[in-house]
Amino acid sequence: MNGLESREQVRLLREIQELEFAAVEWNLFLDTHPENREALEAYNATVARLNEKKRAYEAAYGPLVHFGASASAYPWRWIEDPWPWEIDY
Amino acid sequence: MARDKEKQPEVQYYPEIPPLELATAYVPPQVLGRTFTPAEAVQYGTLFPELYRPYPYGIKTAR
Repeated sequence: MNGLESREQVRLLREIQELEFAAVEWNLFLDTHPENREALEAYNATVARLNEKKRAYEAAYGPLVHFGASASAYPWRWIEDPWPWEIDY
Repeated sequence: MARDKEKQPEVQYYPEIPPLELATAYVPPQVLGRTFTPAEAVQYGTLFPELYRPYPYGIKTAR
C-alpha cells in the first residue's frame, strides 16, 4: 500500500497464493478419489513447496498470519506495513 | 410394453446424447489427466483442464 513492498515480496506472495489454490484443488480431488496415489503425491509435493515458500516469505517479510499460527522475529513484526492483504498488485 | 412406450420422452432435450429423463442428475467420475500449473490454475479458476468452462460473457448462445 505504501509502495515500499518489493517486487520480490509481491512475486513470492503471488506464488504462495497459487500454491494454496493448487493445494485446495488437489484436496477436493482427493476427497472423492482417496486412493489415487498420483494425486496424493501431487498434493504432498504442493504442500511441501507451499511450506517452503511460506517459510521464505516470513523470514524476509514477517508473519503471514497471527494469533499463534506463525512465530515472529524481534521486534514483533505483525504491526509492520503492509499487511499481506494490503499489498497492491 | 405400453408402459415402456409411455416412458419414452417426446422431447429430445439434448439431441446429441441418448434420451435423458427429467430430474435425473449425472455425475461421471473425474479421471485424473493433465493439470494446469498453479499459476495457470489461478487464472482459469480450476487446476483441471476438463473442468474449465469459459462461459461467454454477454453472448447469448442458441440451443
